[in-house]
Amino acid sequence: MPYQIVVLIKQMPDLELIKPDPSTGEPNVKSVPLRFETLSKHATEAAVRLKEKYGGKVTGICLGTETAGQVMKEAFAMGVDEGIVITGYQGSNPRYTARILAEKIKSIPHDVVVLGNQSADSYTGMIPGMISSMLGVPLLGNALSIELSDGSAQVLRVMEDRNEKIQSKLPAVISVTQEINEPRLPPVMQILAAGRKPIKTEKAEPGKSYTAIRSNKAPKSERKKQIFEDPVKGIPEVVKALKEAIR
Amino acid sequence: MKTLVYSDSQDIAAQLVAKFSQFGEVTLLVSSGNVDKLKKYGPTSIISFEGPENPDALANIARTAAEKGQHEMIAIGSTTVGRDMAGILAGMIGADVMAEIVDIRNDGGKIVTRRFFLGGKTVLEEETTSKIFTVSPGIAEPAEKAGSPPIEHLGLAASSVSVIEVIPKMASSEDIEKASVIVSVGRGIGSKEGIEKIRPLAEALNGVIAGSRPVCLDYQWLSEEKQVGLSGKKVRPKVYLALGISGQIQHIAGMRGSKMVVAVNKDKSAPIFEEADYGLVGDLYQIVPKLLEALKA
Ligand SMILES: Cc1cc2nc3c(=O)[nH]c(=O)nc-3n(C[C@H](O)[C@H](O)[C@H](O)COP(=O)(O)OP(=O)(O)OC[C@H]3O[C@@H](n4cnc5c(N)ncnc54)[C@H](O)[C@@H]3O)c2cc1C
Ligand SMILES: Nc1ncnc2c1ncn2[C@@H]1O[C@H](COP(=O)(O)O)[C@@H](O)[C@H]1O
Repeated sequence: MPYQIVVLIKQMPDLELIKPDPSTGEPNVKSVPLRFETLSKHATEAAVRLKEKYGGKVTGICLGTETAGQVMKEAFAMGVDEGIVITGYQGSNPRYTARILAEKIKSIPHDVVVLGNQSADSYTGMIPGMISSMLGVPLLGNALSIELSDGSAQVLRVMEDRNEKIQSKLPAVISVTQEINEPRLPPVMQILAAGRKPIKTEKAEPGKSYTAIRSNKAPKSERKKQIFEDPVKGIPEVVKALKEAIR
Repeated sequence: MKTLVYSDSQDIAAQLVAKFSQFGEVTLLVSSGNVDKLKKYGPTSIISFEGPENPDALANIARTAAEKGQHEMIAIGSTTVGRDMAGILAGMIGADVMAEIVDIRNDGGKIVTRRFFLGGKTVLEEETTSKIFTVSPGIAEPAEKAGSPPIEHLGLAASSVSVIEVIPKMASSEDIEKASVIVSVGRGIGSKEGIEKIRPLAEALNGVIAGSRPVCLDYQWLSEEKQVGLSGKKVRPKVYLALGISGQIQHIAGMRGSKMVVAVNKDKSAPIFEEADYGLVGDLYQIVPKLLEALKA
C-alpha cells in the first residue's frame, strides 16, 4: 500500500562553528551558516526508507529562513519528493513552530508524519507531542525502528530503563532517535538533479513570544588546562592532583 | 503558586516535589504503585491513578487534575514519556512549555529559568510566563518531610497507543550521579574488552565507570544509564577522568559541573583538553597502566 509520508525538517546553526566571544561569552550565532538539523536528517532518512520499502511519496516541510531551500534540496537528493518551505521561524518557540507545521500538515494528505525526537540545537523535544495533539493523531515516540502495515504502524520505542514495542492506527506521528539509521550521502547526480526541483515557499504570520531572554552565554570555563604532551612529565603531576582531589 | 508535578521516574518525581515546594503547594500526580515510595517527600496532596503510563493518557489526566486543582504550573520530568506527555498536554490546552530546564527561581515575582542551548554550548536564562515545564534530572536534592498528604484517585483514560511487548534492558545498581570519582570512556576505548582494561584504574580511584553516548547507546559497551551528556546524566563528581573522549559539546554539557577534569586523548587538538584541568596526550592503553602504577606507588 502506498503511503503519504510527511517529514519535518529543521535548519540549525552549524554548532561546530559556534564560538563564544571570549570576553562576553556570547555566541556568534548570527554569523554562522544554517544547515540540516541532525535529528531531522535521521527523520528524513527514515521517511525515505519507508517509501522505498512500502511505496508512496515523501513531502518535506520546513519552517525556516530564506536559506531553507538549500536544506530542502539536500532532502530531495536523499529521496524526498516534494518540499514546502515556510519562512518566519521564530527561534525556539515550540508551540508556534508546531502550530504552523500542524496547519500545513492538515492541508495535505498524510498517513505518517516523521520527525526527530529532540532537535540537536534547541533540544526541546516538544514538537512531536504538540503536533500529535494538534492533529489529533497518536504519537509513537522515540522510534528505533518502524514498520507499517494495513492501516497501522509499529515502532520499537527506546526508553530509559526498557524498550517497548508499541502500535497505533494510522495516521500517526512518529519521532525517531539518532540511532535509528545512518543517513545516506547522496550521489552527485542526485544532488544536481535536486537543484532543479521546485520548492513551494510560503510565509508564516508571526506569533507572540512567551519568554524574554536575560542572557545566552557559554558557561565560563575555569579549567587549569595543564596539558602534557610528554607523559613522563605529566603522569606524576596528574597523579599528585588526583591524590589530592580524592583525599 | 500551585504546581502539579509528575514524572514516570521516581527519582525525578521526588526532586520535582522538593524544587517546586519553594513556590507553594505541590500536588504530586503518581501511579498508585508508587504512592508509598513518594509520599514521604512531602507533597501537599497526591492524585493517584492506575494503569500504563502512556503519554497521551497521562496528558489527559494531568489536564483534568490541573483544571480541578487550578494549578498555575505543571512540572514534568524530562524522560521519553515526560517529553511526549508535555508536548501533547501543551497542544491540548494551548499552553506554552519551557523545555529541559536545569533551574527555576522566583525573581521578584518573575519566573526565571535556565536551560542549555545550542546543543549545550550556552546556557539560556529566560523570564517566562509559560505554564508547563519539562525538567532535567538533578534539579534538586529530594528531602523527606513529615506529614500525610491527602490522596485522591482519578481514572486514567485509554491510550491511542497499545504496548505489545516490553523488552527489559540490563540495569546496574551503580548510580553515576552519586559517584565522587568517574572514569568515563569514549569511542577511543575501541572495544568492549577495553573497558575491562581500565577497570583496575577505576577501582584504585574508588570510582565508577561511565561513558560517552556512542559507547553507551550505539555500541552498548556500557548500559544506557551510564551515559554522560546532554541526553544522558549530568554529573558533578570530584574527579572526572575522560579517556578517549573527544569532548563534543553534547558530552561536555553533562560533565561541566565536575570539580576536577583529567583528559587522556591521543589527539592533542581534541576539544576535551579545553575543558580539562589536566591533560595527557597519548594512547590511553599506554597511559592508563602508568597512571595506575604511579597511583599505587
Ligand atoms: C541531540 C544530541 C544529543 C547528544 N547527547 C550526547 C550525550 O548525552 N552524551 C554524549 O557523550 N554524546 C552526545 N551526543 C553525541 C556527541 O555529539 C558526540 O558524537 C559524542 O560525544 C562523541 O563521543 P566520543 O567522544 O566517545 O567519540 P569520538 O568523538 O569519536 O571521540 C573519540 C576520541 O578518542 C580519541 N582516541 C581514539 N583512540 C584513542 C586511544 N587509543 N587513546 C586515546 N585517545 C584515543 C580520539 O582522538 C577522539 O578524540 C549527542 C549528539 C546529539 C546530536
Ligand atoms: N522549524 C521546524 N521546521 C520543521 N521541523 C521542525 C522544526 N522544528 C522542529 N522540527 C522537527 O521536530 C523535531 C524535534 O524538534 P524539537 O521538538 O524542537 O526538539 C526536529 O528534529 C524536526 O524534525
